[in-house]
Amino acid sequence: MARNEYQQQLETLRADILEMSAVVCGRFRQAIDAYEAKDDELAQEVIDGDYEINQLYLDLEQDCIELFALQQPVAGDLRFIAASFKIITDLERIADLAVNLGEYAQQAERDRYPDVDITHIGTETIGMVEAAMAAYADEDSQRTYDVAAMDDEIDAYCDRTSRIVVRDLLDGETEAVETLLDDVSRMLLTIRDLERVGDHAVNIAARTLYMVDNDDELIY
Amino acid sequence: MSNHPSRERSAAESSDNKLIQTEVHADADSDQTNSSAKTVVRAEGLSVYYDDDRALNDVTIEIPEHRVTAMIGPSGCGKSTFLRSINRMNDRIPAASVEGELYFHGKNVYDDDVDPVALRRKIGQVFQAPNPFPKSIYDNVAYGLRVQGQADEVDLDSAVERALRGAALWDEVKDQLDESGLDLSGGQQQRLCIARAIATDPEVVLMDEPTSALDPVAASKIEDLIAELAEEYTVIIVTHNMQQAARISDRTAVFLTGGKLVEFDDTATVFEDPADDRVEDYITGKFG
Repeated sequence: MARNEYQQQLETLRADILEMSAVVCGRFRQAIDAYEAKDDELAQEVIDGDYEINQLYLDLEQDCIELFALQQPVAGDLRFIAASFKIITDLERIADLAVNLGEYAQQAERDRYPDVDITHIGTETIGMVEAAMAAYADEDSQRTYDVAAMDDEIDAYCDRTSRIVVRDLLDGETEAVETLLDDVSRMLLTIRDLERVGDHAVNIAARTLYMVDNDDELIY
Repeated sequence: MSNHPSRERSAAESSDNKLIQTEVHADADSDQTNSSAKTVVRAEGLSVYYDDDRALNDVTIEIPEHRVTAMIGPSGCGKSTFLRSINRMNDRIPAASVEGELYFHGKNVYDDDVDPVALRRKIGQVFQAPNPFPKSIYDNVAYGLRVQGQADEVDLDSAVERALRGAALWDEVKDQLDESGLDLSGGQQQRLCIARAIATDPEVVLMDEPTSALDPVAASKIEDLIAELAEEYTVIIVTHNMQQAARISDRTAVFLTGGKLVEFDDTATVFEDPADDRVEDYITGKFG
């Protein structure tokens, strides 16, 4: 096989991106645990660890740029690197949302909204990210459609839970409204951030589908 | 159909520059490609042999007008043979013979009534290494018009200027037209050869690795020029440089070993999502 070193660089990029996704998903699960357990220390670990992921992101971005510049990839190689270049941005954003979740964990009042299952939403959405990355690793286009379908369910669930929170606000006494305001807005932001994680999972799936089949159906 | 170009060469080339006896007009019997551009050159089951060796194997292709079409593939894949078969330059190789049809505006150029010299006036060629004649810049460009007896019919000075402008060389040489073409730099010499090729107002310009002997700056000037030429001419270019094909062509034809055309599509498609796995392997460098 010609261009052995180049092929090796592509394999290294693939392995590095899968490692980055493992780190990001691990951090996000830590943030969910911190939220669930109201563990300020664990939440702080997630927040403090973000710089590592930022650095990983910048390194991988540079690797992609170098491959574009020095190897002028085409065809399947081009789609792989182009998709990877976009996917690392999604992973980096997911890590930022893990930091947000860590901060919400430190600020949140427990049990104010027992009907809103943050752990459930978080577990589902990070599961979508893992499924999308598995599709990327295995070049499995069918699985990318599965991820897109899961997002519709998550969106609907997030919509329902947001309504519960808003209704709670509307139904409250005037005095209580003032005191609830911080918690309500923080809870709405938490739901929205988790829903965003699902959107990033769909982005990853969409880029993976482009990578595997040159199909832009899931890219909006 | 079988053909033995070498045998009919002398008769054909000594003709008195009447065009193809069956006159070929730009709009005569032209085909339409599905990309909306008119087809100017069309091969049907074209094979070329050098003695018993088949260099080109049953190639069928439609080349659109006023576009840049690139031919890529590994050494010995037949791409240069195909290029030479378009304006019957293979006639000059005694061992070469042709099967199948090659249409220029719907006229098979291998028909007996086609004059290869007249054909080459319509289908000019630029070679790999710049090859100006050991003559002045002016005479290099005027050469084709004089040989083809057009010198009396046109204003030679303005035709030379037009061709040099068309080749993006006029501004650099307008004050030294009497100086030897061989005194120019390599890149200028190649543009001089392009000027010579377009001076006779061809419809198609064939280029066989026109930048491989040039440094990157001179090569990039030629690449820019090729894009401009396509506004007026149909450009067919053979290149070993896949990035060059990707940069400058609208359509790309990929030939693989054995003289087979395995893929022909929009250049963006070939380089982003080729249909044939062998093409994918070739252009990503996994073989070849």
